[in-house]
Amino acid sequence: MSQLVLYHYLAVGAILFAIGLVGFMARRNMIMMFLCTEIMFQGVAINLIAFSRFHMNPSGQSFVIFLLTIAAAEASLALGLVVLLFRRRPTLNVDEWSEMQG
Amino acid sequence: MDYALLAATALGAIGLYLMLPRERAPLVRLGGLLGAMALAGFFLFLVRMADQSFGPTAGTGAEGRPPVYFYLFAAIMIGGAVGVVCQPRPVYAALYFVLVTLAGAGLFVLLLADFMAIVLIIIYAGAILVTYVFVIMLASQGTTEAGGGGGANVATPAYDRRTSGGLVAVAVAFVLVGAITQVLLPAADKPIATVATYEGRPAVSREMHNLMVASLAEAPPASTAPVSQTATPGAQPSNVQLLGSSLFSQYAVSLELAGILLTIALIGAVVIARKNTQEHQALGGGKLPAE
Repeated sequence: MSQLVLYHYLAVGAILFAIGLVGFMARRNMIMMFLCTEIMFQGVAINLIAFSRFHMNPSGQSFVIFLLTIAAAEASLALGLVVLLFRRRPTLNVDEWSEMQG
Repeated sequence: MDYALLAATALGAIGLYLMLPRERAPLVRLGGLLGAMALAGFFLFLVRMADQSFGPTAGTGAEGRPPVYFYLFAAIMIGGAVGVVCQPRPVYAALYFVLVTLAGAGLFVLLLADFMAIVLIIIYAGAILVTYVFVIMLASQGTTEAGGGGGANVATPAYDRRTSGGLVAVAVAFVLVGAITQVLLPAADKPIATVATYEGRPAVSREMHNLMVASLAEAPPASTAPVSQTATPGAQPSNVQLLGSSLFSQYAVSLELAGILLTIALIGAVVIARKNTQEHQALGGGKLPAE
């Protein structure tokens, strides 16, 4: 796998990360914002696996296993918090929770 | 500074901004068209650069080009990600994310990480996304009354159909992708200073590799077990074996810490989502909207 082919995959990972970033900053639904962070995780995973293939070293894939672990733990806790917030006010809008802002 | 690449990035950014959900969305199709053109231009740029660096060669075994399926899976992945971001209804966005995960698994298989591809499908699409869909459906029960007053958008609340800060977000993303691709791609044929690639040989430590080959060689062949490919001495270890040997030898401590973290997250999720909390009792113990 030549370096140019590696850069193909890195560019795809960067584009995915940027799309996730746009979604995270633009959407107002709390669950949608967390879904966009999962897109960012996908971009990073593509980068790690591409580097693992480029150097023929399984360390990148091991790190993706840890990334999946962290993503699962974060998703469960984040959704638990979202459900808890939803019980206080029946809205998923993050702008409703901006009392500490400014 | 490659202006063709910069133009493709700008076109994609404008297309993404046009496709973001807003109250009146007359330019969604135009944004989709611009985005598709930008992606096609980006792929053409990559192909042209491969031809410039390595000479035009026929077939997919060319030095500077990934397999043909890379373009297919990358296009599906990027299109699915755009669908997640620009879809007003959360359930459809979660389904587009399943598409992103499946295309990502395809890219993993192209990168010789077949075990990671299956793990991605099982854990990401099968567990995490299902959890997201459950919580989306749970949390959208109480919002139908507060949503739009009829018509096609009766189920999507107002905050799903609007975005705020979309222009700044797209500008930041354009700067990020533009900078990364400008630095990476035009100089892709010039090698980095010291890169150690062991083509065709796994780069685990020498002792580990010898250990694994020796352990494969001394497997008992005289039993009536079916002959598998791992019974031949000196066979190339499969992806699962390489990954497992790396994970349990080099990253054993991290593995244990990941297990502890999962346990803590499990306990935390159960504690957070309890219903009969003290605040609930203090508020009168009445019925909450999500019940």
